[in-house]
This record gives sequence, C-alpha cells and structure tokens, in this order.
Amino acid sequence: MSSKTLGYILKRILLAILTVWVVITVTFFATRMIPGGPFIGEKAISPAAQASLEAKYGLDKPVFEQYVTYLKGVVFDFDFGPSLKQRGRMVIDIIADGMKVSAKLGVIAACSAAVVGIVLGSIAALRRNKLIDKIIMVVTTACVSMPTFIMGSLMLILFSLKLGWLPANGDSQGGLVLPIIALALYPMAYITRLTRSSMLDVLGQDYIRTARAKGVPKWKIIFGHALKNSLIPVITYFGPMLAYIVTGSLVVEKIFAVPGIGRAFVNSITGRDYTLVMGTTIVLAVLIVVMNLVSDILYKVVDPRINLE
Amino acid sequence: MKKLLSLVLAVTMLLGVTACGNENVVDESGSAAVETAKDVLAVCLASEPDTLDPALNSAVDGATMAAHLFQGLAKWTQDADGNLVVVADAAEELVEGVVNEDGTVTYTYTLKDGLLWSDGQPVTAADFVFAWNRAASVELAADYCYMFEVVDGYADMWAEEPAEDAALNVVAVDEKTLQVTLANAVSYWNELLAFPTYFPVREDVVANEAWATDPATYVCNGPYTITAWEHNSKITLTKNENYSDAASVTMPTLEFYLSDDNANMLTNFENGDWLLIDDVPTNEIANLKVNYPEEFVIAGQIGTYYVCWCINEEILPEGSALTGVEAEEAREEIRSAIGLLFDRNYIVEQIAQGGQVPASSFVAMGMTNPDGTEFYKTAGDSEEFYGYYDVSAEAYEANWAAAVETLKKYYTFDEATQMFTDFPTLTYLYNTSDAHKAIGEYLQSAMAGIGITMNMENQEWATFLNTRKEGNYSVARNGWVADYSDPICFLDMWTTVSGNNDIQYGKGAHAELAMYDLDLTEYGYELKVEDGTWAETYDELIATIKSCTDNEVRYQLMHVAEDMLMETGCIVPLYFYTDLYMLDDSVKGFYSNPLGYKYFMGCTIE
Repeated sequence: MSSKTLGYILKRILLAILTVWVVITVTFFATRMIPGGPFIGEKAISPAAQASLEAKYGLDKPVFEQYVTYLKGVVFDFDFGPSLKQRGRMVIDIIADGMKVSAKLGVIAACSAAVVGIVLGSIAALRRNKLIDKIIMVVTTACVSMPTFIMGSLMLILFSLKLGWLPANGDSQGGLVLPIIALALYPMAYITRLTRSSMLDVLGQDYIRTARAKGVPKWKIIFGHALKNSLIPVITYFGPMLAYIVTGSLVVEKIFAVPGIGRAFVNSITGRDYTLVMGTTIVLAVLIVVMNLVSDILYKVVDPRINLE
Repeated sequence: MKKLLSLVLAVTMLLGVTACGNENVVDESGSAAVETAKDVLAVCLASEPDTLDPALNSAVDGATMAAHLFQGLAKWTQDADGNLVVVADAAEELVEGVVNEDGTVTYTYTLKDGLLWSDGQPVTAADFVFAWNRAASVELAADYCYMFEVVDGYADMWAEEPAEDAALNVVAVDEKTLQVTLANAVSYWNELLAFPTYFPVREDVVANEAWATDPATYVCNGPYTITAWEHNSKITLTKNENYSDAASVTMPTLEFYLSDDNANMLTNFENGDWLLIDDVPTNEIANLKVNYPEEFVIAGQIGTYYVCWCINEEILPEGSALTGVEAEEAREEIRSAIGLLFDRNYIVEQIAQGGQVPASSFVAMGMTNPDGTEFYKTAGDSEEFYGYYDVSAEAYEANWAAAVETLKKYYTFDEATQMFTDFPTLTYLYNTSDAHKAIGEYLQSAMAGIGITMNMENQEWATFLNTRKEGNYSVARNGWVADYSDPICFLDMWTTVSGNNDIQYGKGAHAELAMYDLDLTEYGYELKVEDGTWAETYDELIATIKSCTDNEVRYQLMHVAEDMLMETGCIVPLYFYTDLYMLDDSVKGFYSNPLGYKYFMGCTIE
C-alpha cells in the first residue's frame, strides 16, 4: 500500500472522529433544549425529589460542565452512564441488548439484499430485453421508489392481517421475516439495477469479446471476468447501503415492534432519557461512519486504478 | 484480487447462513414451550417495565408483577362472593390502631412464622423498617414516596433542612414485631399495606443498585421469583418454593410478554399464544364486543378523563369592562357553560367505545363514602341527577340551551346564524394519540356549533406534560387515575403548591383574587373565610381534611372541596375510565383489583 493511500486513510479516520464528535456535541445540546425532562410524568414528583434525582445524575450542574464530564467518560472510560428512565440499568447494557436483535436484522437484510440483488441483476443483464429482464426492472423500480414505511405497512396489512402467513410482531416466532424483507427490498432493488447496468457495460468491453472469440466457455466468461469487474460499483454502494439499513431499521423496528436498538432510540427520545439518547446516537453514528470508511477503502483495494484523492 | 473478492462473497454468504441458522434455533425453542401449555400462563400487560424495584415502580403493569414477586403485610384477594378485599399477608392479622394522646395512631403487627426470602434467609421486621425508610427517602426520590405521607416522620424527612436522623416512625420491636405510627388515622391504611411501595426489600440486596434488573440478583419473598428476563421480550416468573403460602399458588410458571403494540397483542391473543392481553386497539372494540362476548372484559377503574382550563387564560371578549374578581366570576360561569355543550354519551358510545361512564363530577366512580354509597353519586347538591350537571342523554338539549343563554350575557350572539361572534379563539392541547385527537375533534365541533373556534394542537408526550404543567395552554386534555381508593388523591392535587396543579390555581394572577368563601364551623372547625384567596381557602381545606380524624366529617369536607373545584368551571369531566382487557376462557381463578392490578397466582388452565 502506498504512503499516499495510507495518508488518505489516516485523513479519513481523523475526519470520521471529527464527524462523531460533532454528532455528539449537537445531540447533547439539542436533547437538553427540547422541553420536558426524564423525571417528568403524568403524576408530578415533588421539587425536592426532582432535585435529589438531578443531583444523583449530575443534571444539576451547568450544561457545559455536564457535556465535558460526559465526553471525558465516553472517551477515556468508554462509560455511557446509567439510563435515567430504566433505573439500575446501564446504557451500554441496553444498547447491547438492542444490538443483538438489530444486528441480526441488519446483517441478514444486507446479505440477502447483496446476494439476491447481484443474482437478479446478472440475470437481467444476461437476458437483456427479454421478459424476465422487464419483470425484474419493473419490480425493482417499484421497490426503489417506495419508502420503507409504506412498504412495511403494506406488507404488514397483506401478509399479517389479511393472509395471516407471518406474525406482525418482530419478537415472535418467524417475526423477523417481514422486517428483514421490508428492510432489504430497497437495497436489493438498488443493487439489482446497479449490477445490471454495470454488467451490461462490462459485457460490451473488448476483453470479453476477445475471451468469447478465444472460445472460453460462457459460464467462465460470466463468473471469471464479467461478474468480478461489474461488482466494483456494487461494492461502493455497500457503505451507503449499511447506512440505509441502520437508519431504515429505526422505522422498520417501530412498525414491526422489533425490540432492537432503533426502538430503544425512538423511545429514549420520547422519554427524554438523555444518556440513552446519547449512547444510541453515538453507536449509530460510529457505525455509519465506519461503514462508509470501510467501503471507500475496499473500493480502492478492489480497483487499484481508482485514485482516492 | 480475485481471491479477496471471493473471500468477501464467501464471508457474506456464510454470515447469511449462520444468521439464518440462529433463527431456526429460536423457532425450535419457541415450539418446545408450547408443549407444556397448562403449566405456563402467557400474558401481555405492557412493554418493558422501567423498573421492577417495588419501591421505584409507579406503573400498573409493574405493580402487577410486584404483587406476584413480593409479600407485603397485606394483599388483595377475592373473597367467597367474588369481591376484592384486602387481607393480612405477611402479618398475622391486620390489627386496629391505638390512638395516642397526641392524636397519632400506632399499629403493632406480628409477622407470620417461617417467612423466607427467595434465597432462604428469614424475613424480619427490620427488613420492613429498612424498605419503608428507603422508599420514603429523598435520596431514592421514588415517584410514589408520598404514599408514606401518612406515616409519622415523613414530613421531617422531606423538610427543607431535614435532621440527620429524620426517619419514619417505624420500629422493629423484635425480629417478628413491627410497630408503625401514623400522623393520624386514615381509612385506607390497610390498602396502603398492600401497595407495592410498602413491600419489603432487603438491605444487602438493594445495596447493588442494579439488583432489580437481573434475575440472578433479584431476591424477593412473594409467590414467584424471576427466573428469566429477556429484555424487551419476556419476563418469566417461576413459583417460589420458599413462599409461606406456596400451596395456594396453582400456576407454576408465568410468562409476561413485553409489547406496547395493541394490534400485535390482539393478534397473539387470537392465535391463542397469549391468554390475557391488557390493551386492545380502540378501532377493534366494537368487533371484539360482538366476537368475544365472554372474553372481552370491561372492568371498573378509578379514574377520570377530563378537560382542564388554565385558570389564568383570558376568555372574556375583547373590550370587556370586567376586571379582577368580577371578571373571574364571569369566567367561572362561562367555563361551566361550555362544559354543558358536550354530549358525554356520544363521547363514550361513539368515540371511546370502551364502556366508559359519562362523568359529571371529578372524583371518579369507584370511590365510596363511609356509609358505602358511591362518592360520585352524592357529589353536587341535585336531587335529580348525580354530580354537578345532568349528563343523561335526555338532558343534553336543555343543557345546550342553558349554556347558550349563559354565554349570551357576555358575548354577542347573532340570532340569524345562531352563532357567537366575539368569543376569543381557543387552542386545545393534547398529546399525540388518535384516541385523544378524536375526542378533541368532537369538542371542537361542538363548540363550532355556536361559533367558538377552537384550534387543535398536539404535542409529543414529554413536551405536552411540560407545557401543561407550566400552564402555557388555554384548554387541555387531562386524566387522573387513583393510586388508592380515597377521594383525597383527586383533591390534594389542586392545592397551590402541588406539582399536578395544571390548572394553575392560586398561581399568577389567580393568586391575588380574593373571592372564595369557606365556612367549616358547621363541621366543628373554627375555619371561616370570606373573600379569601385560593391559598387561604382551598389549601386550608385540604390541610384540614388531611388532619381530620373523624371519617364522617372528613368525607363531608372532601365533598366541600370538590364543590369548590367544580364551581371554578376549570375542570370539565367527560367520563370515568374503564380497564379493558381480554382473557381467554380457558383461564380460571383470575381476578383484578380496582386499581387495575391483575392476579394470576391462583389460575389454572382448562
């Protein structure tokens, strides 16, 4: 790896850290600016009790001081603090619990999107302008243009309520099937289209024609030469796709009642659980930043001709 | 290069396969549980509880779980006639108090023999002393710390500068004898003993702040113990063999599924996976009543759904000559008149649809006077109807006409259109929810019928609570559910300093208005105020009620307090709450108490 590449990667890592820091700072102050607080409820607690709780969690100190304390804790001790709503539980444990479910959902969705997308895209390219190509194109166009929350709700109504094939609750048996499909459809469709156009592009290249002229078997041309090179644009899409899956899971987890990190995030905001809001935000931000970084580096590795600068 | 790419693809696929593999494992374990269906009762009350520490809990679902995990001095149970009663549990008996010279009342309880914690250690009187002082403490700052307000010493603990040794007047005389002294006698004391905040916890157990979040550290003394807790998914309770009355526990395992999605709850109920669900989608209620006449249950719940006005909101027409006390008297009349415009029967039958009862007073249905009559039926002074106005369907037209007549005194009425032309525009504040919105829209349309414009504003829950508490609204949705069956919990929330005083009684401009009369001489008190402020009258009245030892008089005073509240017109009661749930008809031996706690220990599945 050249020093230029290393320098680039280093620069990207620094930028990533800066991004996460900005996210932390903005979120920290924004959550404290919205009205309400973690200890407010339908039945009010007395001012003395409120003061006692604020002192316990350090919320009585000036906001900037809280910010510095929090940042120090996160950076030096990896300490995300206790949840303000779920008394006795640490933010890190709540995130870990949610992550178990969300990671499963996200990884399966990403993998199925990649595998199905690449297969369908290749089929469409190889059967260009045939019926199968047209069907694939129509379906993927529909999937790319429909937002997840509509797709998810439609699937819920159709497969769960009307047909009763699959449970509506993400936590029950087979409950992850619908959320995985809802989450995977968009990136799957996108990858299909990407693979198709890039495969068509590659198939028209001179070296493919040469290979054909030499009498190389068709399957070898496709898997040995065409597919490999047509996947480069697909790999660049991995970063944005994972980012999409992370943010998309916020919506999907809410629709299908999946007890993942997305739901914990949404509930922490409505409950003003400051520490949990911060914790989930940081985890999600780091995830997105890292995924983008990895995908960019992978891009360079796959195709050395690409100049990262 | 080629290798790397195939590696990436291979890893991707492998991940996919292993992940799918995990799914299968979950499926298998799930189906295994179904085989032992008769020993396992699966229910769903709500989503993940904020806490299972009985002292910190303030939710109904958390209280239900606490009732299965702990044994307090008393408990709720069903008597032979099916009525819910409070009986002794850890205590040998629920003794009568002894009145001391200074008016305080002392109770001495003896614990039953052989009480054990789930880890085998004996339960002692000292555990109760510790638990109660902890639950009442400033340090813990529990939502329900005020449940100990009746106990002598509580006020000292919460004094502005409390003494070092300030504590509740609770003493462990010996291992098995517990002596507690109340500031004065209260009729609902036994009920408090059955309340989760009064359940015992052990000092060495709760020293670990995270004790109540992990089955491994959760030590309790009730019918069940927690054996598994999959966060956000399921809490499993298993019969506690160390429980003193283990023979009475007929259901070996309880599974509390955690979900806040009522459509999902209903799906699981209909599938037969969950045998009790504590919530149903509002738009399904009409169908459920028809399809599940036996299994869809509407139970009483002590709570009131109402609309509140901010007392300092100016609603007189622009240019009104009225000021000060006269203006507030006019506003009282106007607010009361507007309260008559709403058809409560329409609201409960067409919108809420859950068997709710139209309300014409604030203290909820389910509270009883000392003579056993319903408190709400004796509210107000009318002979013809209950409460402060007639909410029967027949009276609606007359109510409407009376309201219009009253409003005509203050506003310009256009006879041609039958509309008022100069009523200031109002805004109805509610928290984001379809059910609240539907009711708000009905109120809006009713007021639009006489030319009053009321805009709708919804806010997300925490913001809404804050706005309402600060009094930054004109009209707002509100609701109150009792913590114990004594009307005082509906009345003491309206004192000037109360944190629940959303109406802002005695605050801002209202603090200065000396317009209230109070005469308690006929009840044997010297308190007599003419043209006093809210603080001089209502606050004093509540203080008097809290120190009153004569139960008859106390209830009469509480009716006086409610009269005062309703006179202001700031509270517009709409209906009394009900508790809706679905219970599979194969489950026998189930009961729930008036506070909505559900009891499964005596259940069997047929």
